[in-house]
Amino acid sequence: MSADPADDIVAMPLAGVTGVDHRATTPVEEEVIGLFDDLRTPLFRYVLAFRLSSHDCEDVIQEVFLALFQHLQQGRSRRNLRGWIFRVAHNLALKRANSNRRSQQKQDASTFDEPADHAPNAEEQLVWNERRLRLLSVFDALPDTDRYCLRLRAEGLSYREIAEVLDISLGSVSEYLTRSLARLARADGR
Amino acid sequence: MQVVDRHIQDQELLSLTDGELKPARAAAVENHLAACWVCRARRAEIEGAIADFIRLSNRSLASRVPSADGPRSLLKARLAEAVQAQSALGWFQQLRAGLWGHRLACASAVLATLSVIGLWFQGSRPGQSRLTGETAALEPKPELTPGAIRAVSLVDICGGPSDKNREVPSSVQREVFNRYGIAKARPQDYEVDYLITPELGGADDIRNLWPQPYGAKNWSASAKDQLEDRLHEMVCAGKLDLPAAQHEIATDWIGAYKKYVQNGEPAMQRSENGTVYDLAKLSLD
Repeated sequence: MSADPADDIVAMPLAGVTGVDHRATTPVEEEVIGLFDDLRTPLFRYVLAFRLSSHDCEDVIQEVFLALFQHLQQGRSRRNLRGWIFRVAHNLALKRANSNRRSQQKQDASTFDEPADHAPNAEEQLVWNERRLRLLSVFDALPDTDRYCLRLRAEGLSYREIAEVLDISLGSVSEYLTRSLARLARADGR
Repeated sequence: MQVVDRHIQDQELLSLTDGELKPARAAAVENHLAACWVCRARRAEIEGAIADFIRLSNRSLASRVPSADGPRSLLKARLAEAVQAQSALGWFQQLRAGLWGHRLACASAVLATLSVIGLWFQGSRPGQSRLTGETAALEPKPELTPGAIRAVSLVDICGGPSDKNREVPSSVQREVFNRYGIAKARPQDYEVDYLITPELGGADDIRNLWPQPYGAKNWSASAKDQLEDRLHEMVCAGKLDLPAAQHEIATDWIGAYKKYVQNGEPAMQRSENGTVYDLAKLSLD
């Protein structure tokens, strides 16, 4: 496993302080943290496809890994944990997005929009040329399921895993992916 | 030359590209592609669309995924709490299942009743604050919030735009409340504050966060903001070492306020929108 990404954070050494938690971590905790290290970034990218804010994405991912901890603690199936994690993330993100919609907390952030505090500079504006903007607008206009399929495929999930995450048939996965890519290709004049 | 009269559908071309076709069918499609320029060109178009999508995704999403350091620490803390909660529950259940189960259940009921009476008695005392955790949270608990720092240079801190305190995600706020034993507190009564501000190299880490009451008389979040600005200014002016500033604010921020801002309690405070107001007019509610 790679180096601990939190290694560059240093807790202040204070005399007489015992620290937060000095007991040895359990194997399940270590397994959950290992999966978090492997999957947090792909999960974050996927959850962004639900048009959630960064804070909501972070909340959803925390809930996913706490649920995973409970799942493993209870000795439940370990078959395809990556698929299980994406499926739980999908359900929680959907719930969060619906809840936001109901409470009319409009999330204006488009999936590919830059965050407000990272406005593109002049150089980036040049890079974000007309062709890319056209592709972005096509992607954004895709039906939700098509966007989820594309995102999951981009994260390396197989058709079977995507079908399980989205609770659709294998044929539908193939159909949605083909349709989405055809639209992107048409937008690019292919 | 082989005659190609039926072209391969896009769906099959994509499935082939993704390795999702059954071996026999994949072989047949490969044979067709070997002979058919039209289908080969179409497959290249599909692969081009995939490549565009991936380039677009990578470039657009990279800046939207924040560092995992803080969330990772939070998750570790929450898992540790879950393990401890389960251990405590397991111990209690073992006892209940044993010979003394019935007697313990009775004792628990008596204790619970006494606790309720005790809470009622405490609550009925005149002048008792409803925000019981408030006084304790004026200064962070060192065992929960020792402070945590990032590896930064003076250029990082003083060279760019000010790195003011960032908004803390609601899940992190809840976790901080839980750790401080004020799980039912109203979020609007507290600022979950960085002990060492990011302006001074403080990390996005739960060990660097504590619930600071907005309604505290003088030593409020606004007073600490004043101290942070003052320390930042002094560090960047070369009047104070960064490690010293980090240590002072992490160990005794009120003492540091008296030392670097003004000797005594702050009489007036500045609100979030910059308005100066009289604290005497504020109510804890």
